[in-house]
Amino acid sequence: MRPENYQAQSHPPSHEYELNFGPNHPGIEGNYALQVRLHGDTVVSAHADGGYLHRGFEKLMEGRLWIQNIALVPRICVPDPVPMEVCYSLAIEDISGLQVPERAKWLRVLQLELSRIAAHLFYFGGHAATTGMYSPSFWGVADRDLILDRFEELSGGRVYHIFNIPGGVRRDIPEGFLGRVSALLDYLEARLPEYDDLLFRNQVFVRRSKGVGVIDQQQALAWGVTGPNLRATGLGFDVRRDDPYLIYNQLDFEIPTEDSGCCWARTLVRRSELQQSIRICRQVIAALPDIGGPVRAPIPNPLAWNVPVGESYTRVESSKGELAYYVLSTGGEKPYRVHVRGPSAMHAVQVLEKMVTGGRLEDVAQIMFSLDACPPEVDR
Amino acid sequence: MNDFPLPVRAERSNPLARVFDELIDFCRARSMFMLHYCTGCGAIELPPAMTSRFDMERLGIQPMVTPRQADILLITGYVSIKTLKRVILTYEQMGSPKYVIGICSCTVNGGMYWQSYATAKKLNEYLPVDVYIAGCMPRPEAVIEGLRKLMGEIKAGRANSWERYFREYDRYLAAQQNLFGPNWQTPTDIIGEARDYQLYGPGTEGRHTELLQQHQVPLQPLRMTLHSDVEKSS
Repeated sequence: MRPENYQAQSHPPSHEYELNFGPNHPGIEGNYALQVRLHGDTVVSAHADGGYLHRGFEKLMEGRLWIQNIALVPRICVPDPVPMEVCYSLAIEDISGLQVPERAKWLRVLQLELSRIAAHLFYFGGHAATTGMYSPSFWGVADRDLILDRFEELSGGRVYHIFNIPGGVRRDIPEGFLGRVSALLDYLEARLPEYDDLLFRNQVFVRRSKGVGVIDQQQALAWGVTGPNLRATGLGFDVRRDDPYLIYNQLDFEIPTEDSGCCWARTLVRRSELQQSIRICRQVIAALPDIGGPVRAPIPNPLAWNVPVGESYTRVESSKGELAYYVLSTGGEKPYRVHVRGPSAMHAVQVLEKMVTGGRLEDVAQIMFSLDACPPEVDR
Repeated sequence: MNDFPLPVRAERSNPLARVFDELIDFCRARSMFMLHYCTGCGAIELPPAMTSRFDMERLGIQPMVTPRQADILLITGYVSIKTLKRVILTYEQMGSPKYVIGICSCTVNGGMYWQSYATAKKLNEYLPVDVYIAGCMPRPEAVIEGLRKLMGEIKAGRANSWERYFREYDRYLAAQQNLFGPNWQTPTDIIGEARDYQLYGPGTEGRHTELLQQHQVPLQPLRMTLHSDVEKSS
């Protein structure tokens, strides 16, 4: 097998050898590759090789209408699509000065948190599978499916919902929806102790992941690490609390942190976030019946909508980290420029390369999964 | 999809051989190993399809990590040009009979990314595709339905589009060279394999295979050094 950017070279005799880790590798997350140089089992250097999933989103968005891009943005990060829609909508609302109705804001928060739970459940399974434990991935995927069922009821789509549009959400929730979500949350909360026994307190997992892939707080800040990976180094920065958007300033939740900055700490942070997300969803469910009114602000004819001149940099907290959109409008019916600042682009390239160096080969997959990088978002 | 429909497998005159053929097709349809190469976003619906809720394994379908032992190549979604090279290399390494399933609309006609500069639009131009599963993205039920359809085709002896890659190699190579440039080459000797499988047809060789032979650089074996040699030389 000879990829096009690989030339066979004669090296001077040495103990080191090169290994192509991915793109077709069961241990790698998605379609992504690492070229690692090894000495025995120890990684001497690593080179991230992305671009397998490049679709040229930022260019595609310049050629489509403002409203058409709503269908395009969730494809950027497949496991966690809701923050993409919300962040893009927030940026347009910021430019055009649309006032989002109160009820729509609460509905968006409900979706954001459900999506976060789904993404974290999906992530645990992958991370556990890299340490040789396959049961958690079966459990996680099965429980995530229950959330996808609720999304399907809400929007008609299991994975891509396209439910948030500039000005609010597409339609109101169906009858009895909140009761079913509430029952789902009860079930998920009851499952958490079982997850603890299966994974988070399991000595097989703890010993494999403790002290592996360590990053300290200064390095994390220098390399642009955000989200749960940053909170695992002891810094409790969360966009939801420190730069609140929507109605997060009215909600009561905590920002879980850990100090050690290893794979184990990152897992624990996400496990605590599950509880906090469930808590936020409960508050939304309790408050929603009292908040009436429309769910969508009137927008001009979406097929001939010229968003006024302006620019906006909007950020939200996705399950992977800080996600931001820079949108520039020159008053046309299409965006002039859209830039996506995805968290995974930092995590999966520079941080991953440095983190696996000096580690062992069997930990490479684990470190990549513990960073929860999302290859489609790296390549875009 | 069937630009060049192939005849159903020729029935052999020996009745015992016919029984064997049917038995082998039945077994093939019931034990499919799929190479799970996540080429695009459709891969996110495969974990639900494979795990407890939809449970693909009850149909005898299992993920397999090496191309040499896999039967099905699942193309889960859009293929960027960089990925398509790996997909073709992987496909050529798989042992025959091999089947290709194109999941998601992007493999059919480019889907959402029809104007993207980075993706290959029609998978069928580069590889023979047996079954398409349309949708963005198809539900796990649709994925399983597509696989069941492939099982039926294999059982009936109709899923032989992999033969087309050998019979019409020049046509597929033409599309590949159009996309990747005239220097495109893979280490697999398709023409030799076509002769070996007795699938050499009028379309196997042509203008484009001539171009391939002009540019082909034979793979040089890398010098292997034993551990003790390193100790002596250093």
